[in-house]
Amino acid sequence: MTATTMEGSRSLRETWFQRRFAGAPLPWLLPVIVVIGLFYLYPVLEVIRLSFTDSTLNKDGNYTLFSIVTALSSPQLPGVLLASVEFVGGSIVGQQLLGLALALVVIRGERRKLFGTTVLRTTALVAWVVPGIAGGIIWQMLFSEAPFGGLNSMLRLIHIAPVAWLSDPNIAPWSTVLSNIWRGTAFSMVVMYAALKAIDPVLYEAAEVDGASGSQQLRFITLPQLRMAILVNMILITVQTMNTFDAIISLTGGGPGRATEVIALYAYYTVFRNYDLSSGSVISVLMLVISMGLALAYAVFLPRETES
Amino acid sequence: MNAKLAGRLGDAASYFFMIAMFVFFAGPLAWMLSLALRDKREIFLGMSRFIPKYPTIDNFISVFENSFFPTYLWNGLKLACLSGIGVLIVALPAAYAFSRFNFRGKGVSMMALLAVQMISPLVLMVPLYRYFKWLGALNDNFGLDTHFGVIMVYIALSVPFASWLLKGSIDAIPRSLDEAAMIDGCNRFAVFWRIILPLSGPGVASVFIITVIAGWSQFLVPFVLLSKTDLLPIAVGIFQFQGMQNASSTQLLAAACLISVVPAIVAFLLLQRLILGSLTAGAVKG
Repeated sequence: MTATTMEGSRSLRETWFQRRFAGAPLPWLLPVIVVIGLFYLYPVLEVIRLSFTDSTLNKDGNYTLFSIVTALSSPQLPGVLLASVEFVGGSIVGQQLLGLALALVVIRGERRKLFGTTVLRTTALVAWVVPGIAGGIIWQMLFSEAPFGGLNSMLRLIHIAPVAWLSDPNIAPWSTVLSNIWRGTAFSMVVMYAALKAIDPVLYEAAEVDGASGSQQLRFITLPQLRMAILVNMILITVQTMNTFDAIISLTGGGPGRATEVIALYAYYTVFRNYDLSSGSVISVLMLVISMGLALAYAVFLPRETES
Repeated sequence: MNAKLAGRLGDAASYFFMIAMFVFFAGPLAWMLSLALRDKREIFLGMSRFIPKYPTIDNFISVFENSFFPTYLWNGLKLACLSGIGVLIVALPAAYAFSRFNFRGKGVSMMALLAVQMISPLVLMVPLYRYFKWLGALNDNFGLDTHFGVIMVYIALSVPFASWLLKGSIDAIPRSLDEAAMIDGCNRFAVFWRIILPLSGPGVASVFIITVIAGWSQFLVPFVLLSKTDLLPIAVGIFQFQGMQNASSTQLLAAACLISVVPAIVAFLLLQRLILGSLTAGAVKG
């Protein structure tokens, strides 16, 4: 008897406990809410507030609209935006095309059991895992214009004049794009691979019956079926590339001159080198607006959760 | 016959592309290895001496004798692993709630998690620098130049992605198991602890390893929040090291770089199947 009473009171307490705490979603979500609040919401609001002040890194300032005007009319800003567009645009085109080509070849290689398919896929992924800072250093050793620079000493072997990879302001942006494609393509490859695998094989069988050639199948089945995945992938690449900081600071540091000073680097230098907190905040808000626009686009195009 | 020939030609084209891509992706890493194994004289021979004639591990030894390098490595490992554990503590309950509860605003809050992930860490670091400076004025243990602050930011940066990934792996556990356990008298905590946690093992493991690799690679956060040399993790350490080198010590830089890259690559290779499986499971469904 006593045992059942105890059993009963215990389950009663548990029910109370469960109803009080565990039965509602809020306690489970509380840690995430706190983290998002402290580390995303607060900083975002703060950065917007700071952009309306004339604060420096060490001194709180007064409220003014003047910083916004100064930051946006800065003579350096157009160059920085151009460098960012070059860097992001080049990376999108390169990573998307190369990622799709790699995914197609890997799938074909798996189907026809070609030698080395897995090795290739793994090698691309290894480049992706390399920390950004290390990636910048590795490519600096390749682009180096000293006698031991990897690419130039290779060009010398085949009697081609050396290229000023990192010291010519017209070439340096494309060198940084190349290094970014090296590190980022594996991501596109993974996304494209998953999307290709998700295409209904019946479509290809039907095309085969109708006598469609390989290139016709690619153009009329594969690419249209991939449209959404490509769009989502390009949005994600844009966000990642725009936020890239480490791989550029260790490769060029923004130089030569300001040829590779992308917006993230510019914001960093403004705040932590020039101590100009308010202008840096204005640039940050600009970055925020761009990434939120992209996030919105992503949310619109993302496959609906309810379908699955 | 014709189709067979076309297939052969296609294979040849595939091989050609595969070789070119292999050289593109493996080349830079091989170049770093080649430089790291050379001595001072062979460095100046460039690509013509791709395979060093007198390979040496002296460079690695002298990097490790640099008094701070072991500290950098230890700090990098410590920050990465602690943030991996922290992410699980924060994201697992949330993933459970997103998977098992129906509440108003669930879709919106999951979308919000995706959206905040797109905010550049740089944008966050500007106010967070001031935030931690203020905290440090209150208490030395939580401010700038502490590992506490860095770990908290690492956790925050990984939480949105981790919640999504863990939600996906909890979704895959049949609800009937929860219900059966509840009928047997388990409350939700017990269900979470005894059913959900053990069964979402692969998801938990891949979130942990992805966070650890991301933490190991993280540069911006410690670069902004830390200034004392003995607190720096490896990523900032090799950046400082790069600043101190000149043309005649490239082989040392290559060796240092290799040391920082290898742990991430090894961890990834060992768990490649697990990581890719969980990444693609939730990524593209449509």
